[in-house]
This record gives sequence, C-alpha cells and structure tokens, in this order.
Amino acid sequence: MLNRTIVTLLGLIAASTCAHGHSATTQTPPCQAADTPGGARDIAAALDKLRPLLSDAQRAALYRPLSDASAIQWSNLPVGIVPREGLRLGDLDSRQSQAAAAVFDAALSACGSLLLQQVRLADDYLLPLDKRRIGWDGGNYYLSVLGDASAKGPWLLQIGGHHLAYNFAFNTREPGATPMFVGSEPIRFEIRGSLVEPLQAQSAAMSRVAAAIASRPEARLSGTFTDVVKGVIVTSEPGKPPTGGTDTGFPHTYPTGEVDRGVKVGTLPVEQRELVRTAIASFVQLPDPGISASLLVAYLEPDALADTYVGFAGSPDLGTQGSYVRIDGPRVWIELVVQRAIALPGQLHYHALWRDKHADYGGEVRR
Amino acid sequence: MRRAARAACLLLVAGTSFAHPAPNSILRLELEPEGIRAEYWVPVSELAHARAASPVAEPFSAYLLRHFGVETPTGTPWRVIVGTVRDSSYFDHPYLVADIRLVPPAGASARDFILVDDTVTHEVRNHVLYVVAQRGEQSDLIGALQFPARRLPVTAR
Repeated sequence: MLNRTIVTLLGLIAASTCAHGHSATTQTPPCQAADTPGGARDIAAALDKLRPLLSDAQRAALYRPLSDASAIQWSNLPVGIVPREGLRLGDLDSRQSQAAAAVFDAALSACGSLLLQQVRLADDYLLPLDKRRIGWDGGNYYLSVLGDASAKGPWLLQIGGHHLAYNFAFNTREPGATPMFVGSEPIRFEIRGSLVEPLQAQSAAMSRVAAAIASRPEARLSGTFTDVVKGVIVTSEPGKPPTGGTDTGFPHTYPTGEVDRGVKVGTLPVEQRELVRTAIASFVQLPDPGISASLLVAYLEPDALADTYVGFAGSPDLGTQGSYVRIDGPRVWIELVVQRAIALPGQLHYHALWRDKHADYGGEVRR
Repeated sequence: MRRAARAACLLLVAGTSFAHPAPNSILRLELEPEGIRAEYWVPVSELAHARAASPVAEPFSAYLLRHFGVETPTGTPWRVIVGTVRDSSYFDHPYLVADIRLVPPAGASARDFILVDDTVTHEVRNHVLYVVAQRGEQSDLIGALQFPARRLPVTAR
C-alpha cells in the first residue's frame, strides 16, 4: 500500500515536472511507467541477461568489488582526463547494447534514460568540434556493478561518463540514489535533425524557483559560484599534473543555521512551495521509482520541506555564467550552476549535483 | 575536506589541455629551521571574481596580506613578507605566483602553526586552496581549505 502511494505521488509530481515546455526540443516522456516496479530485483535480473553476452574481460570490467575507494570513483570530467573503470558502452555489440539498455530501463525512469541518451549525444556533438584528446565521445560512458548484485549484501550500480554519474545503492543502510551528477555542454544543440536540451526540465524547474524568490533579500546567496560547491575534487600542484577529479571530498559538511542559506520553504506561499517540490522531483525522478520514491517522500514530507532552504546567485533565468540555484534541506542537497563552456568558447554549460546528506552511497561509504 | 588530501589518482593530462573551468589555488611550503618559504599560486580567473567583489583597489600583494596569514597555536601572528609576484600558468590556466617568506615570532616553533587564509575563498564558494609541503623532490598534500573553513592547523614532521 505504501509503495503504491509512493509511486502515485511520484507519478503526479513527475507528470507536472515533465510536462513543462518542450515544444522546441525532444519530448520528455512521463518519468516512470506505473506497471514496472524497477529496483534491485529487476536490475539484477537484467544484469543476469547481460552477463553471458560479455567476454571475460568485459565481465571483469563490469563486476568489481565494492569498497570505499571504488564507490567514489565517479567524476564530471571527461574520460580523457579522469579515466573510468567499468564496461564501456561504446564497445558493446548490438546484442550487448540491448541487454545493457534493459539494465538502464530497470534502473532509470523514462526521464533518467532519456537524460543518459541526451548527455551521451552532447559528447558526440562535441567530438568533431574539439580535437583535443579530452575524451568527448558518447561511447565513453560506462556501466559498473560494485559488489554482488545477486546476493543480500550491499552493492552499487554506477552508470557514468563525462557529464553524468548515477550511483544507485542496494541492500545498503539507507536507500541510496546519490551522489548524482548531471551536466550538459552545450546547453542545447541540434544533432541528427533533433534539437536536444538534456537538462531542460531540471534547469527550468530550478530557474522558476529562483525567479519566484528573487524579490526576497535573503534569497540571494553570498559569494560567487564558478562550479558546484560539493562536487569532485581536483588536486593541483605546480610542476605536476592535476590529480583526483573524483569524490575524494566525501563526506561533506553542509551549512547550518539560517544565515546565507536562502529562503526557508516553510515561509513561501503554496504556489512557490509547489515550484520547489517540482524542482526536487526533477532530479529525484531520474532513477526508477523503486530506487528513489522513498527519498522523494522523505524530502517532500511537510516538516522536511518546510525546513528546506532555497537560494540563488547570478541571474534567476540562468542565462549568465555564474548563475546558481541551490536547494538545501534536512537531507536533500541540489545545486545547479552555469559555467563557461570548455569545448565551445563563448557558450555556457550546466553542472548539477544531487546529494543526500544522510544517504550518499546508501550510507555505506564511511571514509 | 581533509579527505581530499588523500586524492591519489593521476589525471590523464599528457597531451591534452585541462578541461576544468574552475581552477583552484595552491600554497607550496618549504619548511626551514627558522621559518617557511612559500609560493602562493592563485588562478587569475578566480582571483578576478574575488577582487571584483572587494571594495578596495590595491596591489595583489596587499590583497594577499589582508587574506593570508600564519599564527602560532596560541594565536600569535607570524610575520608575512610578500616578495616577487610573477605571472605563470598551470595546465592552460593563467596564475599569479607570489613568493612569500613566513617568520615565526621569537621562541615559536616553525613546525607547528595554523594557516589562516580566505584568499579567493572569501568570495568564490567552490574554490579550494590546496596546501603542499615540499621537501626536496618530494611533496605531500597536507590539507585544503574551502569556504567557510579558513584555518588549517599544520604540524610538520
């Protein structure tokens, strides 16, 4: 009964989130299919169908031990800079690709699957435009299983590459769908006859929140933002190449108190609170509801939502470099920033990050 | 944030430009018996954001002196002498590099101190200062600072 309620709630929010303006871009489908439960069992079953199709080397790449060190090996940098482990999607033949797609279908909502496709397309779009050996390529996205998906112990499913990191945790201390990084360079582009805007739903929802609260003085966060604040760590040292580029900053500390966190959602009128709910859902709906529905319920529970802060910097319309919107709740942490583009001088690109203050990696990584 | 000091994976940058739009700062310390020689590497792009937010128009060395210092564990400030400031670069990013001499107060240990710093981090919320101890050819990452943190205790071996 609880599960049905959760799925219904998610469906209602998803419908409102994904219905927003896609008139000029590829249509975003509803964010989950109500008749597919998803979650650990379905993913494990889909993995069981993929496994026999792989070579020994591919199996070794796909299945690796779960450890604190392996869990944090995601990045938002191109693979030519931070190499990834895992099963490279660009190396799969058609049968393997179909089987891998079934894993994605089990692990992701329709919105989450579409985002994966669109983020990969963005890398394909950049490939002919930037000849540096940075690793732009939609094939450079990877699937990993850390731990034993067929056992009762904790395991992680990781799907990721340059501008996407899905980290889903199963049989863990807490249900876990984070950290989740999503980005897009360019913000929108035309490829193979379609106009694509990977983070349209998320950026539009965050922008609506910023616009709604912009007249409140406390809504504007102090400081300047040139990237997300709780992202991956690149360590630099003169005379040596940079190192890291992964989640070595985990676990993070978060703001406390009421100062410089933005506007408390509990003080907002109903219609603005709804905008915050929609913005949270635009991220939390990316995994299959079997993975993240309970998280959404926790974030939107009345007391939790009332105790959530929303703030912004730069332009509420996210049209300028340095624009930034943040949702900072008792558990949920979502930030989206507008950066200059790397491959396309003069253009902009998005970085966005969803963390759960209690349950990143399912609460399983204790560094 | 100190966990960052354990970062070990070498980024594959040979032959590529470094595609990171938000470069960080580096403070390299050479510990000597009577004090510390330091190089402070500050990325020009991020410094511009920080200084644009400052109401004070001043040379970089004066800005640095307002935001960077060292003190003993009991709070007595060290003497900070900013010497040459030069242009440099690090993987495609322009940097300013300041040579700094740090002198402890009489009787204080030059191996046990607190770095107090919010250069750039006072304004740029995602910016990180990495602190590296250099011993000959060997270097160790000994800590990092990101807003709101601005104090890093250091006990050198």
